[in-house]
Amino acid sequence: MNLEKMKIIFLADDDADDRKFFEDALKKVTIPTNLTLASDGLELMSNLEIVIEPPPPDIIFLDLNMPRKNGFQCLEEIRNTPKLKDIPIVIFSTTTNEEAVNKTYQHGANYYVCKPTSFQLLIKAVETVLTIEMWQQPQPAKEEFVLEFS
Amino acid sequence: MPEHKLSDTIKELAFQMEEKEKRAAELIIANNELIFQNEEKEMRAAELIIANKELIFQNDEKEKRAAELVIANKELIFQNEEKEMRAAELIIANKELESFTYISSHDLQEPLRKIQIFATRLFADESQNLSDNGKEYVLRMQDAANRMQSLIADLLAYSRTTTSERKFEATDLNLIIEEVKNDFKEVITAKQATIEVGKMCIALIIPFQFRQLIHNLIGNALKFSRPDKTPHVIITSQIIKGIQAKAKNLLPEKEYCHITVTDNGIGFEPKYKDYIFEIFKRLHDKEKITGTGIGLTIVKKIVDNHKGIITATGELNKGATFDIYIPST
Repeated sequence: MNLEKMKIIFLADDDADDRKFFEDALKKVTIPTNLTLASDGLELMSNLEIVIEPPPPDIIFLDLNMPRKNGFQCLEEIRNTPKLKDIPIVIFSTTTNEEAVNKTYQHGANYYVCKPTSFQLLIKAVETVLTIEMWQQPQPAKEEFVLEFS
Repeated sequence: MPEHKLSDTIKELAFQMEEKEKRAAELIIANNELIFQNEEKEMRAAELIIANKELIFQNDEKEKRAAELVIANKELIFQNEEKEMRAAELIIANKELESFTYISSHDLQEPLRKIQIFATRLFADESQNLSDNGKEYVLRMQDAANRMQSLIADLLAYSRTTTSERKFEATDLNLIIEEVKNDFKEVITAKQATIEVGKMCIALIIPFQFRQLIHNLIGNALKFSRPDKTPHVIITSQIIKGIQAKAKNLLPEKEYCHITVTDNGIGFEPKYKDYIFEIFKRLHDKEKITGTGIGLTIVKKIVDNHKGIITATGELNKGATFDIYIPST
């Protein structure tokens, strides 16, 4: 497979079912992808350490509520690490409360996706996010930050 | 002794005698007087003794009363402290309850979402392995899960009206109504509904809460429409003095922003005018009209947060009107 075209995706989510849903949804997406899973923030950060020497991931899907190191901490750490700071981050969470949305927007997440409630919508969400060009792009306006799939 | 001298002496003696008798009589009178005065004094003394005793008794009584008052006072202080403690406990319990509602409804979403996703996958990927009955069960499971999702969403919205920050801002109600109309644009098109908005005030409100309030009221007006009539919603507002309002419990001289939302929907029987604001109370079969019974409770809560009053008037199959009064300053 052509590595040039393959999107490298990192996912951090402590929920095994959600990781499985995501993996399965990714298989239904037409874009070729390579997925690296992490079950919490610490694992994600160590994955980033190991894999960062080229190529870096095209996108990180980040759950917020995780043990050991949560999504907020990861987001801050990534944005404050020079070699990681430009990696697009999409928050992937059950929480839709304003506070979480505001905080992740302030800390420079690229988009915020509320985990959809059907498998079809999940596929649609993953596919939509993967088609958005985020590398070297400015953060969208606050009104466009949250992507809803329902 | 010469005779005249003797008589003189006798006279003299008689005179002296008289004088002594006079003196004796005077002394007797003086004595009687003294006896009388003495008796008086004794009586006075006896009276004083009694009065004294009375005073001592009264003094004792007063001391007793004072001691009782001190005790009563301590009791009151104690009761006051108790009440303050209770009040503080209630505030804490209330906060806990609020955060409990918030956290539990949030944490409930996660397993629910999984039920929903598994159900959609079961239906989509495994339907060849399911009998018609099996498929039906999965669909019903999805229905139930979706209902629970709206219930949780509404509970969350409700708890957010109590837990979230209350920042009042002078806001043009027109903007809020336009936003809400946009939320419902699909339903409005589908039902060919008209929403007539009069001149709206600029009101001092918590914008996101008021948006929710208008959303729920317009949403209800569209939802509870009559099948034979296209929905028509009229929204008005004006600044009035409390005394001009129909509603009770308003300060007569205070200025209020009076907002009305009127529809031509199915209305309700007047006896339910208060009942409809209670949580989980529904007037309709959930199979016929969807809903959680929380929408109007949220509306009421938001009006309360604005120190306002809301009343509902309705007539079955004729429509409903909601009158909201919130202080304009």
